[in-house]
Amino acid sequence: MLLEARSLTKTFGAFKAVNDVSLRINKGDIIGLIGPNGAGKSTFFNCLTGDLVPSSGQVFLNGQDVTHLGPEQRAQLGLARSFQVPLSFEGMSVIENVMIGAFLRSADPAVARAKAMEVLTLTGLSAMCDAPASSLGTPGRKRLEIARALATDPDVLLLDEAMAGLTATEVQQAIALVRDIHKLGITLVIVEHIMEVIISLAEQVIVFHQGHEIARGTPQEVTQNEHVIAAYLGKRAAATAARGFAEGGA
Amino acid sequence: MKRGFYPSLFLALALAYPLLLSTPFQQRLGALVLLYAIGASAWNVIGGYAGQVSVGHVMFFGCGAYASLACYVHFGWPPLLGLPLGILASIGIAALIGTPTLRLSGHYFSMATIAVAELLRLVVTNIELLGGAVGLSGPVMPRTWLDLSFTSALPYYYFFLAVLLFVLWVTWRMEQSRMGYYLRAIKDNERAARSLGVEAGRYKLYAFMLSAGLTSIAGSLYAIMFGFIDPESGLGMLTSVKMLIMAALGGAGLLFGPLVGAVILVPLEEISNTLLGGKGAGLTFMAYGAIIMVIARFYPSGILKLLQDRLRPSAGGRQSDVA
Amino acid sequence: MSLSLVQILISGLLLGAVYALFSSGLTLIWGMMNVVNFAHGDFVMIAMYTAFIIWKLLGGGPLLAMPMAAVVLATIGIIAYLGLVRHIMRGPMLAQILGTFGLALLLRYGMFWGFGANFLSLPEDLVGGTFEWQGLRLQSSRLLGGGVAVALTLGLHFLLTRTSLGSRMLAVSEDAMAAQLMGIRPDHMQAVAWALAAGMTGIAGALIATFFYISPTVGENLAIVAFVTVSLGGFGSVPGALVAGLLIGVIESFSGYLIGAVYKDIVVYVLFIAVLWLRPQGLMGKN
Repeated sequence: MLLEARSLTKTFGAFKAVNDVSLRINKGDIIGLIGPNGAGKSTFFNCLTGDLVPSSGQVFLNGQDVTHLGPEQRAQLGLARSFQVPLSFEGMSVIENVMIGAFLRSADPAVARAKAMEVLTLTGLSAMCDAPASSLGTPGRKRLEIARALATDPDVLLLDEAMAGLTATEVQQAIALVRDIHKLGITLVIVEHIMEVIISLAEQVIVFHQGHEIARGTPQEVTQNEHVIAAYLGKRAAATAARGFAEGGA
Repeated sequence: MKRGFYPSLFLALALAYPLLLSTPFQQRLGALVLLYAIGASAWNVIGGYAGQVSVGHVMFFGCGAYASLACYVHFGWPPLLGLPLGILASIGIAALIGTPTLRLSGHYFSMATIAVAELLRLVVTNIELLGGAVGLSGPVMPRTWLDLSFTSALPYYYFFLAVLLFVLWVTWRMEQSRMGYYLRAIKDNERAARSLGVEAGRYKLYAFMLSAGLTSIAGSLYAIMFGFIDPESGLGMLTSVKMLIMAALGGAGLLFGPLVGAVILVPLEEISNTLLGGKGAGLTFMAYGAIIMVIARFYPSGILKLLQDRLRPSAGGRQSDVA
Repeated sequence: MSLSLVQILISGLLLGAVYALFSSGLTLIWGMMNVVNFAHGDFVMIAMYTAFIIWKLLGGGPLLAMPMAAVVLATIGIIAYLGLVRHIMRGPMLAQILGTFGLALLLRYGMFWGFGANFLSLPEDLVGGTFEWQGLRLQSSRLLGGGVAVALTLGLHFLLTRTSLGSRMLAVSEDAMAAQLMGIRPDHMQAVAWALAAGMTGIAGALIATFFYISPTVGENLAIVAFVTVSLGGFGSVPGALVAGLLIGVIESFSGYLIGAVYKDIVVYVLFIAVLWLRPQGLMGKN
């Protein structure tokens, strides 16, 4: 078991953003989290990364209870994440951004630079390595987020809507990148709005609605689940998604 | 332009300055510029590199100054021997303030530094062993050369220059190391830095402790040169203001920024004090206030950054690459 | 409880109410736009000089000085917001803190330059002097100060929670973007907040001037008192500032009585550091 959430609940005042959700992720899995805005998937995600402390329940990483550890300690234990709205270090060059991640495993700037270059090549950013991060557009920033996270040598990578705001072509390229990352042996948790991405990548999908988990299974299973159709997709969207799945699977 | 050209040029000018401009006023001015450059460079480690604005840095300056003269008054030691004690006390105080406040938003840190500096000033004013409101004096006549008591400013000038080079070297080493990269990342975006495993609170605390220790050296040097310290000169807010404004005007977070600020502001202050006398102090600090507002409003990166961008319009945003 | 302890308690509460009043301006700005006004203590100082000038030139007491100081300070507040704060509040932390700190120096040494470092004060009997009631010695100036301060602080709380102006300001502080979509101009509301906060501070300064010395550097200590009050009360919370202000007034009053007037500031500063260590979110702040 690489990452496990045991009946996580998170309340803000009287509002239950996440209500008793559990999750077990094995090495090599690709898990998708979906749900409409405000369904609680982002809150759940942030409880996994350490940005939020759950009101009750526990999080385990590699068998260790990390419920009360901050994001920096979870990163040291092999968990990495991207942010939905990219948080680049604007005053630094692209390669320096990635070096911050690489420094987690080596204090030597030369080693960190070499590691960063390696990751930039994988993510297709090596040509811009000396450009200021502030000169990148949205697709570049999204890639930089992933590159920085990869440079920490994670066991599990959590992607928070890494493809929102990309064009169709860019989404295809990003899907290919995520597949490459998975081939490196990195476990993935993906929060995504775009159905097509979840269907083509995730092996298992968890659907959130009003803080609860309402369905879980393969993409095909959840898109045909009545609760999901009623609560989230709506009938027309469900039909479209199912068609998309059929085409994607062919 | 070759890297290292400007630092070499500065070093050559700095070595030659007191020989070229050799009146006592000019030599004393030179020594003061270097002394404040040391203080401002020390402030720069936490305020510039880590982006945590200490508004009470005089407390560390005071630790150094009081440690030096208290050791002389109570044990008869040369003031220089109090310097390491001042450093230790400063690092201890920095740890005490930094541990709770550097985890919070930067406002808390700034407010806490003001309050602790003011607290120390009040406490010291009421401690007889530290001279109370009257202050402490150093050796009137040098007993040995170790007392470092000279009538000419020339020896102080070269001594301060050596210390400034040491402070800049320490800062440069920090800047090039993992800690330097981490501090820049924390300043840019703490949340992102933490997600990459950067222990933000710890690195800010290290920077604060380093900055405190270096500032304490400036305080000891002040006490050694002037042979006198009281709660106003050693713990008054205006010394904090000077360190902060020199670093911010020259360029906070740049290795040579505080030095540039000191070279501009110290002569201005000395000249205005000479011309205007006691009335000048109010005007000087009014002008400081106006300058600080203008920097904050129009050019928060400081003069040196402005010059760099003018000289190398294509070079992009690399902060660490000075000269 | 002996009579002298009641006496100390009452004078602490009256002083604390004034602390609460000028701290609520700081907490309003902090809570609404996440800006700490490091010139806040100097706003109080300017108001104290305004009261002094009004007495000197017109012979007027606090009834005239309060509205005048409110107008002067509200004007300064709007100018500070439009000319400075609006431009630096989204910038780096360094610019934010330097900006209002520079303003503090300008005001402080401007007054130093204009009036010198001498301590000034208003005549003690300007507000009716001292009288005895049930064996307690009460100063009319402090009674007036405490009473007005409590009324105005509660009034500010009422304004923020029960009026449409208050809810518009609250909307901006919750989410400026969303407020804009609802047709509220965030910069208008923020300018109003600065005028309101500075104006309240002006009234507080005019009240303090009736029983406290006036000097260019008095704002430095008052600013720290306001920091303690706001930190203890929880940032952005006006009721928190009221409770914390009263508490600090009482603590200061008792420590002045028990261990000497010299040490009462020290006690307040130590309290501040203790709050930062133990409960940085304040008594009423959210975690």
